[in-house]
Amino acid sequence: MKLLSFLPFLGKTQKPVVRKQQFLAQKISRRYCFTAVTLFALQSVVAVTGAIDLVIPDLPSPIPFEFGRAIHLGLADLWPLIGTMGMVYYFITAELDREIYSPPLARWQYWIVVLFSLAIFTSLSFKIGNGREFLEGLPVLYMGICISLALASYNLIRTLFMVKNNITPAAAVMTVGIIFLLLLLLPNTIFYSNPITDEATKFWVVHLWEEMAFELTSAGFIATFYVVSGLADRAKVEKWLYLEASLAVVGGLYGTGHHYYWIGFPAVWLVIGSLVSIVEVIPVGILVHMTYKGLKSKKNRSRREKLTLWLLLSSVFYHITGASLLGLLITIPWVNLYMHGTYVTSGHAHLALFGTLGFLVLSGCYYILSRGSEPTLKGYKSGVLAVILLNVGLLGMASALLAAGLKESYLWRYLGMDFEQVRLQLNLYLFIRALGGAVFALGDLFLFWLICKTWKQTKLPKR
Amino acid sequence: MRTFLLLSSLSFALFVGIILISSRLPSPMPEQAVEGKLVWQKHNCISCHTLFGNGGYVGEDLTNITRKETPSQIVNYLIKPPVVPPNKYTHHPGLAIKDAQNLVHYLEFISTIPTLGWPPQKEKAGKES
Repeated sequence: MKLLSFLPFLGKTQKPVVRKQQFLAQKISRRYCFTAVTLFALQSVVAVTGAIDLVIPDLPSPIPFEFGRAIHLGLADLWPLIGTMGMVYYFITAELDREIYSPPLARWQYWIVVLFSLAIFTSLSFKIGNGREFLEGLPVLYMGICISLALASYNLIRTLFMVKNNITPAAAVMTVGIIFLLLLLLPNTIFYSNPITDEATKFWVVHLWEEMAFELTSAGFIATFYVVSGLADRAKVEKWLYLEASLAVVGGLYGTGHHYYWIGFPAVWLVIGSLVSIVEVIPVGILVHMTYKGLKSKKNRSRREKLTLWLLLSSVFYHITGASLLGLLITIPWVNLYMHGTYVTSGHAHLALFGTLGFLVLSGCYYILSRGSEPTLKGYKSGVLAVILLNVGLLGMASALLAAGLKESYLWRYLGMDFEQVRLQLNLYLFIRALGGAVFALGDLFLFWLICKTWKQTKLPKR
Repeated sequence: MRTFLLLSSLSFALFVGIILISSRLPSPMPEQAVEGKLVWQKHNCISCHTLFGNGGYVGEDLTNITRKETPSQIVNYLIKPPVVPPNKYTHHPGLAIKDAQNLVHYLEFISTIPTLGWPPQKEKAGKES
């Protein structure tokens, strides 16, 4: 019974607190964040179903595995994007202490991005797609996402122009992040007959969205979160922000080279990819330093801030381990030669994509949606339980995938065993992955429910 | 801020330029191979198979499949798809013969792209010739 009391379904989890003046953009950002969290909940359910499909032979499913996986990957891209859009609007207004250039444009942008995202998932469930990994939807639908990003870029640039002399590093970095999201997606809305160009361009989203554009929005978010919540001084957290952002851009761009080793590019990319991948770790180090400085600044934090920090620190943990260190290890060409194209990549991708970016966007979304409330002790404990389940589930999934990948690399790549024989030996690992996925989904649904209750309680009456 | 913006713009422009230069194909792509690429994309083959090691891990990497199997073997496989283990009843998705032929042209073209020694998989004795 004591365990049941942790569940977010029962009892009071939030109490209202007085909130400061709210800008219209901050109110609009709530719908972005709530949609992102909802799509995240959907994603874990879709992903667990796919994982189970792999371990139970002949499992009947209304959507075939190949399109189910496409929906999972589409969701993995788009919910963090929608959440980031909301976070950038919220924290830029908080940072500049003024309204954005055009709140109606932000509303239009929201409807466009949601409509086109849903169109991607719906068309994929009807087996209509474009068959490019992580960009499986029809190109025209990604054009819709681009329009939404163009509106965001325009709105943010105009906002910065309104405060010409007072542009803060965090505001500038977040805006550039959004512009890069647009520039990197745009070339992916056309058909390439050349398979080398196709592969190369795909990684502008698969790699560069996360390791460059989202890294900029994330750095801006972390800095602003500390400043606006009063947890740290601006000078402390923004000291290295431009340096961090510059290294993220240069390192992110040329570090993409580690995805270009074997796609038909010249051999010089082996050198570029492996050397610049080392540079990519430096901005992560600065980001961690910034987070640490912020953490050290204040001892007394509210439960809402602490829950945000639980999510944020989870993100930082995976940023250092799963994304950076493991990523660096498998970019060594001699290692990559054997591990590339195995489940090792999949394990790394889960840690990097959800571990780093997912947790970060969740922390921002939670912070925004809980504004005007404070978790009760029970609500706080439920939130912590959800974060623990998410972490245990993710580590379980990733460990199983990494173990499967190592075995696959050795038997298939190194010893030259037949693929089918090796594949049958991986079932146990894939089963553990499905179990990890189920724990992860449970944590996800707990967090979603808690956020739903918070969102409902903090809704402002319509004027 | 100006330095950051300038550095970002220049880095991005240079990056795009280098990518364009690096993406040159070893030979022009035949029309049937282009058609085959469309078949590959339409049927979302990438969810289960990899090309150049990128894609799904359920099925085998197909970068060099045309060096291991003959075109007619692959076409037959695709038009009369067998049951995929560990399933007992579920077949591999099937294709119309024209689509299957175009897809094989695409896979043949893919195998001509130099991949710097990847994959390191050992060739099985007797299959190379």
